Amino acid sequence: MYGQGLLKGLSVTLKRYINTYVDDFKWWGKRYFNAEGIAHRSSKDANGIFTVQYPEEKLPTPEEFRYVPFLVYDEGANGEKNIRCTSCGICAKACPPQCIWIVRSSDPVTGRPVPQPAEFYIDADICMNCGFCAEYCPFDAIKMDHDYELASYGRNVFDKERLMKPASYYAQIRPLNNAREETARAEKAAAKAAKAAVTN
Amino acid sequence: MTANELNTPGYEIPDDLKDVVAITTLDKVYNFGRRSSIWPMMFGLACCAIEMIAAQASRYDLARFGMEVMRPSPRQADMMLVAGTVTKKMVPAIVRLYNQMPEPKYVVAMGACASGGGPFKEGYNVVAGIDKFLPVDVYIPGCPPTPQALVYGLIKLQEKIDKQSIKTVRWYQKGADSVETPIPFLGPDLIDPRRIPEIKAKAAELANPPAEAAN
Repeated sequence: MYGQGLLKGLSVTLKRYINTYVDDFKWWGKRYFNAEGIAHRSSKDANGIFTVQYPEEKLPTPEEFRYVPFLVYDEGANGEKNIRCTSCGICAKACPPQCIWIVRSSDPVTGRPVPQPAEFYIDADICMNCGFCAEYCPFDAIKMDHDYELASYGRNVFDKERLMKPASYYAQIRPLNNAREETARAEKAAAKAAKAAVTN
Repeated sequence: MTANELNTPGYEIPDDLKDVVAITTLDKVYNFGRRSSIWPMMFGLACCAIEMIAAQASRYDLARFGMEVMRPSPRQADMMLVAGTVTKKMVPAIVRLYNQMPEPKYVVAMGACASGGGPFKEGYNVVAGIDKFLPVDVYIPGCPPTPQALVYGLIKLQEKIDKQSIKTVRWYQKGADSVETPIPFLGPDLIDPRRIPEIKAKAAELANPPAEAAN
């Protein structure tokens, strides 16, 4: 008999359609616009139609999700921003599409270089979100962001002010990575201190 | 639209007529109609098109914004979603399609390649950004932008349309269209293929310096 496959397919669609209402009743008013609801609809137990009502609710981003990079700064005691970047330029060299532009700064009195970027630009309209800059950075200064709401009415060339985000923000979006890097940094500091103690 | 959004502030409606009369401007009605039925043109150029398809499908469902009807003909489209790498070979076709679209028309550059050339920005066969040829309204960074990033860009476009006015919008001006769409031509490349033998000879010379060869 012909047409069995067609009926089977249509029954799947019908099942989805009915399941949407079944799920709506089960979750009574809590299916949309809250974190719990979207977590359920993203899981394997989801039934029926599972549209993400985007501007009102957002899909939870996985930790390794990466978008345009940002510069991490440590917050000082008096609210000053201690940028981790030393303007070494490794990220700019590693960047495959070469979208990073760094201007190094020098001391105005002595004229010697200061390990701080005077300007730091990332052309977000060139960046291909590969994450090589974050991978290669020896100071954990540049990291991949989770913020994908970047669309604008002009070319997106981000300057240093736009790129700088606090270390607490990084810890919030990538908790596991941050913890791993914190322990690595602490171990390194301890080893350095032990070595200094031995030589003295 | 709610009554507050529809009503133009500045006109007092008597209390007994509040539920009967709404005063609005032509711009608001026009923009509401325009922004709620943006029909994108159905074409994709590279991997960004996959994300565009994902955004169009039931998971993200652009029908919520009135953008579900993807038109394969430029005559019926309002928005050109340049999704992907624009090669020099494709640019004449894209500009021609843009010229065939009826006004009002909008261009969204989706992804790194369409906005600025992306990783191919210095490539011999890729246009470094469609904005060299078309007036782009919204730039969406990302490689490729996730469906949510794309939807955000389209919401931005809707916000832009909300602020437009029939008086100032470029396609209702007298005279020729203020934006001139250039006729694409293949410009000089970084490497001229006619000079490849010369380049190869130079490369060979650099690989084996003549001093070494003399020894």
